[in-house]
Amino acid sequence: MKNNTKKIVIGVVCLVVLVALFAVIWTKFGAKPTAGDKHITLEVVGSDGATTDYTLDTDAEFLRQAMDELGDQGFSYEGTDSDYGIMISSINGVTADYATDGAYWSLYVNDEYGMYGADAQPVTDGDKYTWKYELAQ
Amino acid sequence: METNILGNMNLHNNSPRIEIKDIAQIGLMVAVIEVCKAALAFLPNIELTSFWIIMFTLFFGWKIVAVVPVFILIEGAIYGMNLWWIMYLYIWPLLVLIAWLLKKNDSAIFWAVISGTFGLCFGALCSIPYIVIGWSSGGFISGLRSGFVWWVAGIPWDFIHCGGNFVLMLVLYRPIRSAMNKIQAATMN
Repeated sequence: MKNNTKKIVIGVVCLVVLVALFAVIWTKFGAKPTAGDKHITLEVVGSDGATTDYTLDTDAEFLRQAMDELGDQGFSYEGTDSDYGIMISSINGVTADYATDGAYWSLYVNDEYGMYGADAQPVTDGDKYTWKYELAQ
Repeated sequence: METNILGNMNLHNNSPRIEIKDIAQIGLMVAVIEVCKAALAFLPNIELTSFWIIMFTLFFGWKIVAVVPVFILIEGAIYGMNLWWIMYLYIWPLLVLIAWLLKKNDSAIFWAVISGTFGLCFGALCSIPYIVIGWSSGGFISGLRSGFVWWVAGIPWDFIHCGGNFVLMLVLYRPIRSAMNKIQAATMN
């Protein structure tokens, strides 16, 4: 009985040591994501039709995170958070007010109308995202 | 109705033959492993295969020698015989060997440690073919490097495997052991 307990204690200690050793090896040698693995372009088409382009190397998973990172390049946005994600109301200081102007900011991905909002739009290497000021027909 | 191909194998009644009952048991054991594997497929690296292989080795003796190859063949037939299949060819028999060598132990914590350690080392064991492939294409050092990189990248998954194996064995060992004792007693009658 005593011998069995000793065997179990040795086993548990060995397992804990192995886990610690593996953790150290992974921390030291494991691949770390390098900043800027995905190269993307963000385009803003303003109310006057003028276009501003931004390029970014990012690890962002979703567009909103990349938009936050673009703050360093002068890009800015405002919006309202909801259960469905953020509703963009203003980009680079230009506000699209649907209630008064019938205007809104729409998102295009590689020149195709986007299926998601900024929170849910996945960021893929090489993609172009366009925020376009549009008027309701 | 009886074959005599494996000699003195039936440890329950000392009969030198494989009986229909043995074949049915082997089939059931493979089915149990496969069903549990499919049921837990949505949880990455949480599996009952290690648990069952250890338990079957402890309780059904030589029959595991038939169960493991059949299980590996079925896996290959379902998912394709790719590189992972080569890993299966030595990983599961290794677990049988370990369980067989330590079969005198009857402690849930002991087997939880064994099963957890096996899960923890699963990635390292799986890296062996990558060492061989790297060795054949760029020399031994290159092989070691490619195996090491492959293993290290999967260490977080090995932790999950380790934890899953440990907890499942700890929780299930006692109830399944008592169920198997009943089955053993019933089969011997």
